[in-house]
Amino acid sequence: MDHKALALEMRGLREQVAGVTDTALAAADGLLIAADTADSIDPEGLAALAAAGLGLARRTSEATARGALRRTVTYGSHGCAAFYAVGDTALMVVLGDEGIDVDHLHRATQPALRRIDLILTDRAVDTAVDTAPEKAAEGV
Amino acid sequence: MSGYEPLAPALTACGHEGFTGELRIAGSPGGTFHFRDGLVVAVESPGAPGPEALLLRSGRVSGEQWAELVRESGGSRWPATALVAHGYAGAAQLRVVCSMALHDAAFAIVAGRVEGCERALVAEPFAQVPVGEQPARLLREAARKLAAVAGLPHPVRPDRDRPVPASGGRGGNPSALRLELLAHADGRRTARDLSFRTGRGVYTVTVEVARMLAEGLLELPGTPAPLPVLRMSPDGQGVRRRPPPAEPVPPTPPAGTELPRRKPGGFFRIRNGIPK
Repeated sequence: MDHKALALEMRGLREQVAGVTDTALAAADGLLIAADTADSIDPEGLAALAAAGLGLARRTSEATARGALRRTVTYGSHGCAAFYAVGDTALMVVLGDEGIDVDHLHRATQPALRRIDLILTDRAVDTAVDTAPEKAAEGV
Repeated sequence: MSGYEPLAPALTACGHEGFTGELRIAGSPGGTFHFRDGLVVAVESPGAPGPEALLLRSGRVSGEQWAELVRESGGSRWPATALVAHGYAGAAQLRVVCSMALHDAAFAIVAGRVEGCERALVAEPFAQVPVGEQPARLLREAARKLAAVAGLPHPVRPDRDRPVPASGGRGGNPSALRLELLAHADGRRTARDLSFRTGRGVYTVTVEVARMLAEGLLELPGTPAPLPVLRMSPDGQGVRRRPPPAEPVPPTPPAGTELPRRKPGGFFRIRNGIPK
């Protein structure tokens, strides 16, 4: 997996959409892969919450015949948390403040999700050639 | 001036034609000018905190209280009457907050990048202020502020620079706003982000950040912020495909429980609007 490309995608989203405060990427089982979060956020807890939330939303969508799940967004008085599935393997969390234009976020996120999915797919190939431990140690 | 030139003809035309509706500005941060009879009665932008964010971040109203006010006002986006009735703010205070937010959003749009303008007709425009602003005057005011920021010794773009506290730069007796900015400037937040975080106007925060940079209280990191931390899953196998949903497990009947059991039929369905 190209760690740098993945990091640039996540940071790019924060710089592209006004109001994005944090992003995190997790495997479908809730284990954190990458975090671009402020110190006040626990990224591992956030990843686990996102996996649980998306799983619940997916089952709700199925149980209510709403079709394939697109995303889930939690709105609070100080902003929102958007959870997106990244293919079948991962999920992405985007936190935004009160000013974020959520429609704009959804539009901007789609191409990024596709690129991230491709990067993660490549990572599976990289892992097979035993490069992961070194890259993880780099802490890129 | 970033957004001034493309905005000026569109706003002026709306004023001359007595337009009622929305002028949606595409760009970064972009936003919406709300017009009634050619006057601007509200401006919203992702680049500047609106009255709701200002009130909530100031702590004057809690999130729960706000939700209750909105319910009480029939889902209104701006429950001004209820805010006054419950004593959270005076009517004059609300007018000031709304007027400041309107001008602040116009500044944010003008300071950013404008890619296009599109009109949308609406029956009843969203209004923050009872008496609207002349669009040309509003735009001139925003442009004047932008020029004032550009003229500072250390000009700052609201949506670009991400300062950090300067090492050993703290001294004197900083104001409450400066203390807040020092606390929240972490190299990730722009002036726009700091204005939302502190519940202050983006123009106010932009000017203050520029002054603090000039005085050596804040500094801009020479290199971009460090890349996000990446971690592999402990088994080193990377991501796996999501497993198919498990077969539902039939619930095991409770044995010898003393919990009360609900009886079926306690709910009703609605068919064609009639409960059955």
